[in-house]
Amino acid sequence: MRLSALQAALEAYLLTGNSEASPELLDHIHGSAALPAADGLMIYHNAYRTRLLSVLREDYPTLHRWLGDEPFEQLALAFIAAWPSRHFSLRWLGEKLPTFISSYVAEPQLTPLLELTALEWAFTLAFDAPDAELLSLDAMSRFADADWTSLTVRLHPSVNWLRLQRNTLEIWQAAKAQAEIPETTPLQTPLECLVWRCDLTCHYRTLAQPEAEALQVLVSGRSFPDLCTTLFDEHGEQAPLLAATWLKQWVSQGLLLRN
Amino acid sequence: MHGVSLSIGGPHAIDSDYLRQLKALADRVQPHWISDHLCWSRGNAHHLHDLLPLPFTQESLLHVAGRVRLVQDVLQRPLVLENVSAYLQWTTSSMGEAQFLAELSNLTGCELLLDVNNVYISSRNQGFDAWQFIMALPHERIRQIHLAGHSDYGQYLIDTHDQPIADPVWTLYAKALSYLGPTATLIERDDLFPPLDELLAELEKARTLAAGVFKRAAPCA
Repeated sequence: MRLSALQAALEAYLLTGNSEASPELLDHIHGSAALPAADGLMIYHNAYRTRLLSVLREDYPTLHRWLGDEPFEQLALAFIAAWPSRHFSLRWLGEKLPTFISSYVAEPQLTPLLELTALEWAFTLAFDAPDAELLSLDAMSRFADADWTSLTVRLHPSVNWLRLQRNTLEIWQAAKAQAEIPETTPLQTPLECLVWRCDLTCHYRTLAQPEAEALQVLVSGRSFPDLCTTLFDEHGEQAPLLAATWLKQWVSQGLLLRN
Repeated sequence: MHGVSLSIGGPHAIDSDYLRQLKALADRVQPHWISDHLCWSRGNAHHLHDLLPLPFTQESLLHVAGRVRLVQDVLQRPLVLENVSAYLQWTTSSMGEAQFLAELSNLTGCELLLDVNNVYISSRNQGFDAWQFIMALPHERIRQIHLAGHSDYGQYLIDTHDQPIADPVWTLYAKALSYLGPTATLIERDDLFPPLDELLAELEKARTLAAGVFKRAAPCA
């Protein structure tokens, strides 16, 4: 049998759920007294699943804790079968888990699971997102008037902005603290949550609605004076101070780049 | 730089995106060498994330040699290839892994990375002589040695990189050094990390063994 055919046969064996090798594949493998051919093949079959499951457990620790060992493994194995790895790095293996969950799980479990996987994957994305030069308080302290009037910013590439409809963050925090995980419940108003990397550490924070709206205005490309004008309707003469306070906070937290 | 994703023996085209990133990283960090494994880790459609053994045939040799040349052309340096731990042998093999590596090095100018633990694991699993394997390699092409631990399941061994280096691996290492001369050595540990002192003790042991071998060898040099 040609090299490509042997490789196709081993690939097919590894990807199927059945660890029993076909006689056709076994015909092409030498066993030894120490390790018969079928046992050797089974080592590779088992290692493939063990390695991929381990990656998914590391990428989705809260989902794992929430579902429990067996249901998580069942979900992960079904996912691996449906979405075999398409990237040379296992770092991307779990990318499509939320997509898979959409097709595999029905409501009422679907929405909580989707939110939780999105939150956990946001940390993975933040961890190795590209670096970029942050706008700093030091740079702002040297701004001329013209810099302030023309200032526009965008989010750092590591920032993931989530809008949570349920108490997903509370569940994630409980799992992280090894505490009892609360029941999943809908929130009365959606919770804006940022996940990003700053100083080589991943961070998260929630934003109250007015702050979230203000940040959205600024990172949508409008200038700092535009933000002040937007805030004026509700906050009157306090608008510039409020805008400056928020801006200082966003900059000090390492969220913004200058355009 | 040491990689696991080149899949130099795979049935797919060499991943140009991966190779471009590898070259960019090498340009940035200027490594002494770039190594990966003599194996395939990607099938036709999917990444299998394991170091899968090749059949050691003339067909495989030509297949891998062409790909090594391509990679070396891009990287502008010899590729360093490592022997892997194996849990099966293909019946179509017409030569051993050591001979395959020697011929590949002859054909392409690639260099070799001798993983002593991998030789020992494969020799126990497949019933061949580990020392004969090491002696069959072209010693002048060996750029680096790797040492690691494995898990012993009685009948067979599994390469886990999460245990201390086993005594027979230390013995092979010392014996190999006496033939190879001073050779860069890396101890690999991927999981179940012990206290740092235990890792440093392994490093000290490797240095002491090497110093002892070269002290004895010095008068003959």
